[in-house]
Amino acid sequence: MKRKWYLFLLVALMSAALVVSGCGSNEKTTAGDTIKIGFLGGKTGNHAHYGIETLKGMQMAVEDINNAGGLLGKKVEIVEGDHGSNSSEAASVTQKLITQKVAAVIGDPTTGITKLAAPICQSNKVVLMSAGAVGTGVVELGDYIFRDCLLDAVAAPVVTKYLAEDLKWKKVALVTTTGLPYSESLTSIFKPALDKYGIEIVTEQNIMEKDNNFSAQVTALAQKQFDGVIFTGYYNEGALFMKEMRKQGLQQVMAGGDGLLGKELYEIGEEAVEGSMVYTGFAVDTNNAVEKTKDFIEKYQAKNNNAQPDMFSAQGYDAVMLIADAIKAAESADPTVYREKLVQTKDWKGVTGTISFDANREPIKSPVYLLEVKDKQFAVKTVIPVTD
Amino acid sequence: MEAIFDFFSNPYYIQILTITGVYLIAALGLNLITGITGQFSFGHAAFMSIGAYTSSLLTLYLHTPFFLNLLLGGIIAALFGVLLGFPSLRLTGDYLGITTLGFGEIVRVVFINTKITGGAFGLAGIPRETNIILVYLIVVLTIISLYLIKNSRFGRGLVAIREDEIAAEAMGINTLFYKVEAFAVGSFFAGISGALYAHLIQYISPGDFGFSRSFEILNFVVIGGLGSIPGTVVGTAILALAPEFLRFVQEYRMLIYGALMVLMMTFRPRGLLGGVDLFQVWRNFRHKGLREKI
Repeated sequence: MKRKWYLFLLVALMSAALVVSGCGSNEKTTAGDTIKIGFLGGKTGNHAHYGIETLKGMQMAVEDINNAGGLLGKKVEIVEGDHGSNSSEAASVTQKLITQKVAAVIGDPTTGITKLAAPICQSNKVVLMSAGAVGTGVVELGDYIFRDCLLDAVAAPVVTKYLAEDLKWKKVALVTTTGLPYSESLTSIFKPALDKYGIEIVTEQNIMEKDNNFSAQVTALAQKQFDGVIFTGYYNEGALFMKEMRKQGLQQVMAGGDGLLGKELYEIGEEAVEGSMVYTGFAVDTNNAVEKTKDFIEKYQAKNNNAQPDMFSAQGYDAVMLIADAIKAAESADPTVYREKLVQTKDWKGVTGTISFDANREPIKSPVYLLEVKDKQFAVKTVIPVTD
Repeated sequence: MEAIFDFFSNPYYIQILTITGVYLIAALGLNLITGITGQFSFGHAAFMSIGAYTSSLLTLYLHTPFFLNLLLGGIIAALFGVLLGFPSLRLTGDYLGITTLGFGEIVRVVFINTKITGGAFGLAGIPRETNIILVYLIVVLTIISLYLIKNSRFGRGLVAIREDEIAAEAMGINTLFYKVEAFAVGSFFAGISGALYAHLIQYISPGDFGFSRSFEILNFVVIGGLGSIPGTVVGTAILALAPEFLRFVQEYRMLIYGALMVLMMTFRPRGLLGGVDLFQVWRNFRHKGLREKI
């Protein structure tokens, strides 16, 4: 009996120690010496890859700023807010960043968590710059909410135009992953675009996420004549879908958004995805890259064993630079002040291309990179400038 | 003194204490179902989501007052509890567990595929109505009502069902009716908790109320001690706060969280306060103290 009580006491003490040690780590705010920028994202969990790459890009940007003498004479510092890809923690983490008096919160790379963090940033009047939330209904959440990623609403019509005018596509099959918000919204953007450039949708097929047998849908496609497949889902299903097409003797290629962008596409799809096209807001294109982008790629490679930067690191870099330039222009790190300058951003040159914010604070980015799978690698097929 | 004031004026601490309170209400509801009545439920988050969506939709579309929406969130959740309870509570043990698991999935998929709930995009822009005082007021009310239930004829009936269902039936307890009623009350609190959650976080999507959330709540109850109300409070407080306070060890925190659970289950399989009656402990302690003085 006595021993049991000691154990109980031990566990209770351990738990109390946890709580108390947590309280102790309450950082003293050193306002004045540095400008703090918050990183919101998952360094662990399902979306860890996105978070880690975004943070890498941010760290490179901060290093560049500090090496060039800092911002308004102060050093810039990143405060990390890791929520472990866990939506229930994200709200607390965002709140924590704000209590640490950050000038801006950068992240989260996913739409869901950005929507969760948005009302908190908005009510505290702190700028939230998402480096990857491409879904709908993000910036509508408040006038302190921004994003710097390539929107499907911008890219899909440009790509459709290319398919119609340069590749002479006349008829397509449209494949949607139902229940996946990304896919459903992309389909709703592609439909009017296809209509506008005179491409006919001969058949629409629906698949489910994590499906791995698409024989029914592909059999339905085999009955029709078409030039290519518009696939709005993710790479796993995309790769398997193409495999099934080749199995049934269909030779068309597919085109889709950056949901298809992942080495898994050609690792799973192998020969079946050769020639398939994916658009993205950033690609390593050493032949055509401008000086600034080349510089970024080289620096990234030097730091990461020659690995190539991806969209998330580049967007993370640009997000910090966008904020920094707005702070410089406004000569203040107060979000209520520099926000005015940020809104006016026009033809701003970053490593991912040119960024302007339109009247609704939505980013208009140029160019769009169209990649093609070639010999089990993504190769830049063409770079399409966004005019308008 | 100033430190305490600082603590309570820091919005970050307020936020995590509030969310802990919200979870606590759901956990107390589950404690009635799983702890006191002994019926497995792996779908508690589904009832939370019903409460969350009901109240948010009412707030967003009908602009009815928040307190009414909060209450309706709970009541609708309770109705679904009854609806699920009648067919499934004839089952016991693992079978009931699987049924509730299935129910949780159905609710999630329905919310994903319904237009008015915003589908997989979820509902954004829900006004913030929840605050820490309201949450803890409801926590206190929940605890009081659970104590009243536990010490009533009804509550003793529930404990009898947990201990031996056949014997309870033989004693004249309408076991199905009792179980459904417990399910309804538990779901009611889950619905209230979901409604508070929605008006705190201001954005809900079906993914927030998946199986893992149900399991999280079950963990709170089991770690604290099945059937023990103070246990549920302690369990929820520790497990909901641990990920936040373990933040300083960064990547290792989930590891420590897991290790804490393994240790707990090895040394105290009945949970922290399982099978401990705090009043009894207090009485024993006083007796001992008196004896020593004499």
